[in-house]
Amino acid sequence: MKPFDIVVVGGGGSGLYAAMEAMKTNPSLNIAVLSKVYPNRSHTSAAQGGANAALANKAKDDTVDMHIFDTIKGSDYLADQDAVEVLCSEAPKIIRELDNIGTPWSRMDDKTIAQRPFGGAGRPRCCYCADKTGHTILQSLYEQCLKKGVFFFNEYFVLNLATGVSKSKGLIAMNMRTGKVEAFPARTVILATGGYAKMYWNRSSNAAGNTGDGQAIAYRAGIPLKDMEFVQFHPTGLRKSGLLVTEGARGEGGYLVNRNGDRFMSNYAPEKMELGPRDLVARSIETEILEGRGFESPAGPYMHLDLTHLGADLIKLRLPQIREMSMYFEGVDPIDEPIPIRPTAHYSMGGIDTDISGRTVMDGVYAAGEAGCVSVHGANRLGGNSLLDILVFGRITGRTAAEEAGKFEPAEISAVELKAKEEELRDYMKPSGHYERYGALREELGHTLGKNVGIFREASEIQKGISGISELKERFKHVRVFDTSDVFNTNLMQVLELKNMLDLAETVAAGAYAREESRGSHTRTDFPKRDDEKWHKHTTYTWVNGKPEIGEKPVTMGKHELQERTY
Amino acid sequence: MAEHKEEMRDITFRINRFNPQVDNKPYFDDYTIPVEKGITVLRALNYIKEHVDATVSFRAFCQAGICGSCGMRINGISKLACTTQVWDELERCKVANVIKVEPLRNMPLIKDLIVDMDPMVDKMKKYSSWVESIMPEEKMGEKEFLVSEEEFLEYDKATDCILCASCMSECSILRANKEYVGPAILLKSNRMNVDSRDGANNMRIAELVKDHGVWDCTHCYRCQETCVKSIPIMDDIHGVREDALISRGVKDTSGARHAEAFMEDLPKKGKLIEATLPIRTNGMGWTLKNLLPMAFKMILKRRTPPPPPLVKPAKGIKKFREEFKEMTDHVKQDQKDQKK
Repeated sequence: MKPFDIVVVGGGGSGLYAAMEAMKTNPSLNIAVLSKVYPNRSHTSAAQGGANAALANKAKDDTVDMHIFDTIKGSDYLADQDAVEVLCSEAPKIIRELDNIGTPWSRMDDKTIAQRPFGGAGRPRCCYCADKTGHTILQSLYEQCLKKGVFFFNEYFVLNLATGVSKSKGLIAMNMRTGKVEAFPARTVILATGGYAKMYWNRSSNAAGNTGDGQAIAYRAGIPLKDMEFVQFHPTGLRKSGLLVTEGARGEGGYLVNRNGDRFMSNYAPEKMELGPRDLVARSIETEILEGRGFESPAGPYMHLDLTHLGADLIKLRLPQIREMSMYFEGVDPIDEPIPIRPTAHYSMGGIDTDISGRTVMDGVYAAGEAGCVSVHGANRLGGNSLLDILVFGRITGRTAAEEAGKFEPAEISAVELKAKEEELRDYMKPSGHYERYGALREELGHTLGKNVGIFREASEIQKGISGISELKERFKHVRVFDTSDVFNTNLMQVLELKNMLDLAETVAAGAYAREESRGSHTRTDFPKRDDEKWHKHTTYTWVNGKPEIGEKPVTMGKHELQERTY
Repeated sequence: MAEHKEEMRDITFRINRFNPQVDNKPYFDDYTIPVEKGITVLRALNYIKEHVDATVSFRAFCQAGICGSCGMRINGISKLACTTQVWDELERCKVANVIKVEPLRNMPLIKDLIVDMDPMVDKMKKYSSWVESIMPEEKMGEKEFLVSEEEFLEYDKATDCILCASCMSECSILRANKEYVGPAILLKSNRMNVDSRDGANNMRIAELVKDHGVWDCTHCYRCQETCVKSIPIMDDIHGVREDALISRGVKDTSGARHAEAFMEDLPKKGKLIEATLPIRTNGMGWTLKNLLPMAFKMILKRRTPPPPPLVKPAKGIKKFREEFKEMTDHVKQDQKDQKK
């Protein structure tokens, strides 16, 4: 195959924006997008609520500076302030650009883009398209990439980075249609594979494929990861499935109510109430449940998200998807009854360590979106900032790679290397006396993480989690792939995804254990206070002999001094 | 609180199997598993894959009805496995407690329940299923377009489309002609055409009126009936046709002339004047050349339609027209009131 100038791994919002921007920056470049699904299936489609931008359409006094401050405060002061500045000042431009290429935004009476309030934000600045914002953005970007003639390699599963000699780059990936292992020599590689929160399995709102593939291959190639212990629990997941009910439901005026009929958020965030930041609301719900004020059910304890007072018209117009999901998965019509909810693992703040332009420590390898960690979200991401992150930094990274592609050479990937990889995959299919089923391991991993490294964490519990994960890794050695066919072997793919999750789970648990403080989404009951003296810094993880070696990196400060975070 | 147990039942999933490396043609395997009330078909399939037979292959991703990966035919109808309740399907089983699961139709089969989506993507490219912005690229990001809520509502429903291809699978024309544009692409076309930010209506319509385009639809409404997002797809197909006929002045195709002939006859007589229909659709030359032999045969069998002067207006057409007018006036008034 002809070497590519840029190969983007992942066809979600950040990958597609990167491809589109790279094409714009230099139309002569040869750009490919590799994705394990058709790009329009990517998890960006599930983002419901919207994207923040200080357009000041709704609140005329909103400013970029206020957005910056809200984001830094929301991050519990762990975000890098230079990165946040880029995020927020690029925001209005990126929303307008999407409008210009056809994204259907909901509108206000004066025909400008509508905005609604979101958790942790001082002004209503979340731009949205009903409750299908991510879906419509993804469609727009996919359409524009088709228009621009980006090469798509759909349903390719990336196995590893080909780091080769000196500055040469490329990828090795499995073509799902044929089972063949193929080489993708490329001058530059952008990893935009999304998050890793699916490792919490049944307590996660994520798609089945959010298994951190990009982070795992970067990590194993020696690129450090950053801030992996910060996993955001979204306050409102559906009780049975963990699927998400958008923060927009509270933005539109929904109440959180406990068994006694109290709007309990008045005890935790008297000013912002239901629209407190996500970490705080999630902890409040869990506390209510732990103290016995939750509802009981066979599927576990839960809380009520009450929308009934909003009326049928508003629910149908602004939250149609939420209504559909509540009916499909809980048998509840939110027009008539409250929705049963419980916090669910939702977003990974951590990821591949990158600089402000998307570069990793390895020449020619870049990362963007949820796969990367710039970091703009620090210890806790604000609602409406994740779509914004993938768009802004997808675009910046696409441009950086396009400008730098000339500096690097494509790797020569030998047939021998490919053959060896194919053999390695075949090994999973060899019959042996004792074997493990991947389904059971996957479920146990989710259970262990949810129990020992969940919303509330404590040293001895995390220790249990760490040894639990080691045990699962040991058992994984005996995992067996029963499907021996070459064509579309989803059995093999799911096993490889599990391998990625296990490696990353170790970093999450190790970070959670090391960080002896409570900050943002990371809550240590044995260290309940934020400890700026010892822990106002990023955590990094480097792969050393198959284990994470923990390091640290300073936080880039700016004009916002450390403050106590109250709402 | 007492432990509340959901109802359990043994249910058989009759799943289409096909591995192109081994099988000449697809066949069915039966899997009988215990299923709890409230479980979706996708969760049942996951259970089979994890606990019974890991080789059963299907696509699934978000599991929440938004990514469109798990489109398949369940008891003969194309839908998403992740939003289909097993219990709802039990009422539709031909054999009690046996649910049939097959791949989508009208697309090449890859394996078991997985079909090739590339033909749909190729059609998106062929028919420009994107907004061709009227904003020059170098000006993008500077300011937003002003769009009214009314205009947004015109394409709001169409942008619910998740390209799950259920409509493509159910389309009766695609079954006969794989080159036909298909409902999902027609939906996208109209969504772009009504968007004031787009400047490619003419280009899109010019492609859509060609062979295998918008005129091939037979209004069977299967697409709309099965749309997993309840999108009124036929409204958009009609939108494309109206655009082609009226605003773009594309009257120069047989499909357009055919439709015009209907429009001409129906208000007058309440029925079609069939004798002259081929002439009005395809012209005298074509009719003489292609239909003369058939016309002779029809005369011999006494099956010729009556000549135009002998076509009597349909019985009760006058009354129907009055009632119809009254009804549409009501609807229009209602819509006006609602807008207020």
